[in-house]
Amino acid sequence: MTESTLKNVGAGQSPAPTGSAPRPAEATSGSPRRGAAQARRRRTSKLIRPWALLAPGLIVIGALLGWPIIKVVLLSFQNYGLRQIVSGTWNFNGGANYADVLGSAQLWQVVLPNTVVFAILAVTATVVLGTLVALLLAKLGPILRGIVSSVIMIAWAMPAVTGTYVWSWIFDADAGIANQLLMSMGWMDQPFNWFTNRFTFYAIVLLNVVHHGFPFVAITVLAAFLGVPREHIEAAEMDGAGPWRVFWLIVIPQLRQVFAIVIILSTIWDFKVFTQVYLMPGGDGANRDVLNLGVWSYTESFGQNKFGYGSTIAVLLTVVLLIVTVIYARTILSQEDGS
Amino acid sequence: MSALSSKRPTVVGRIVTAVLTIALCLFALFPFYWMVASAFDKYVGTTGALWPSQVTLAHFAYVMTEGKFGLYLRNSLLVALVVVVASSFIALLASVAVARFRFAGRRAILLLVLVIQMVPMEALVIPLFLQAKQLDLLGKLTGLMVVYTALALPFGVWMLRGFVAAVPIDLEEAAYLDGATWWKMFFHVLFPLVVPGLVATSVFSFITAWNEFVFAMTMLGPQIDKYTVSIGLRAFFGLHANDWGAIMAGSTIITIPVMIFFIAVQKRLAGGLTSGAVKG
Repeated sequence: MTESTLKNVGAGQSPAPTGSAPRPAEATSGSPRRGAAQARRRRTSKLIRPWALLAPGLIVIGALLGWPIIKVVLLSFQNYGLRQIVSGTWNFNGGANYADVLGSAQLWQVVLPNTVVFAILAVTATVVLGTLVALLLAKLGPILRGIVSSVIMIAWAMPAVTGTYVWSWIFDADAGIANQLLMSMGWMDQPFNWFTNRFTFYAIVLLNVVHHGFPFVAITVLAAFLGVPREHIEAAEMDGAGPWRVFWLIVIPQLRQVFAIVIILSTIWDFKVFTQVYLMPGGDGANRDVLNLGVWSYTESFGQNKFGYGSTIAVLLTVVLLIVTVIYARTILSQEDGS
Repeated sequence: MSALSSKRPTVVGRIVTAVLTIALCLFALFPFYWMVASAFDKYVGTTGALWPSQVTLAHFAYVMTEGKFGLYLRNSLLVALVVVVASSFIALLASVAVARFRFAGRRAILLLVLVIQMVPMEALVIPLFLQAKQLDLLGKLTGLMVVYTALALPFGVWMLRGFVAAVPIDLEEAAYLDGATWWKMFFHVLFPLVVPGLVATSVFSFITAWNEFVFAMTMLGPQIDKYTVSIGLRAFFGLHANDWGAIMAGSTIITIPVMIFFIAVQKRLAGGLTSGAVKG
């Protein structure tokens, strides 16, 4: 809706470039006065319209995502249990929950390592595997590349719920195929319970999360690989650069932004792993050694009815994620401004 | 010839590539294969073989009848359908606003849309559970529909704005020249042209609603006849022994629709997550 369009409205010329453009019966052609009125109306609506269009979305997001975030912060400063749910009253206790959470051995010895160390390992493994797979895909011909891409999509498409059940079943202590194969190959004498030990438990979560996450990295990085100009690669090869030097000196520098986004998104996803832990045997809080921030917050709230305490843990998790997100938003928005 | 080198691969190189490709496919497919194989295996978990010893449909029959999966599928479909329609429409309106208008606060809105996606479910589920309890929405599908619509919105807006921005502004102006009002232009020009984007967004909303677990578990609680498929499986976990044949059959039923939709929109999905290069 530029000025020139508005001026042309009354002129009655309609060089519509497509046949699908509508031709309403009450076209305004021929009447300059009506054209001027309409132009004025359009100018006003140009200010109001974006907000009118945004209103439904903002209301839904505000009521169901915005207000709850404010409320969880308010709850995190309260001793909020069943009694408060019934009476509907606030019950502020200052920063006691924060002092409790930050002073608890459970946080520093179990929950934080389970969350942070796991996220670091998972992001590293996902990005490295995904990049290697992208390199492999780049080596294939176009047809085979398409087929293999679709095959790895199947790993990505697996819902978290069913994926976790399948991995739990593969490593099941009594009848799982992993134990059966290891025993039939003579590497193990008796079935091993993978889920009672904190490290083997998280090794399976890691396998689950990496298996589910690497296709996204592979497909995204592959798209970036294919976008690297061939002339640059050929020029470097003419200068005698081997495949490694081409990769590190030509390909990687062009991919910095893509890697930044992929790493940040993976970090966000891997920090808030919930379903993949909660649905594993003992992961729902029964085994306190395998709690992470998300599951801890949930079990304190819904298992112990300590909604204030659980909120405090959730707020801490959110703050960590927000810091990562701000970096993400800056990366992606600066990319947009540059285009 | 590969995309990252102009040299011809050697024979050894070709063999290594082939072996790695096969290993990759096996790794990617194994859980899916094992889920389906176990679902059809009459003697599941007792043979130690990597394929079913005797194929049976008994696990599926059990899941659909005793396991009430017919009911859960209906609940999930109902929720997903409402979420798809509501969130796509609201997201389209919002995406037109951010893609077609320059206004004060536009950048803040884009930032909000990005940031809000990162809030962990565990932070939302506590206040929303308390709210739903007050509004008497616990144990009802309505509560889930509303929450999932909100969850699907930010990504929908983010993805659709690229599609809206890609519609040439000349087409809009041509409609105005013909005297169309803004709403006429919206429904007759813009809407038909962003249908591919709406399809991709709908698929994403569908998957969000279909897969969601935390809210379904929390808000539906003991109301078994309202369960969606993602929490319907929990009933098969016994105190002492799990009925793995049934769990895998149920998992297969849940996974197949997601897989079909996912592969149908695979390219757009990866692009939508990293987009930003698209002008908006």
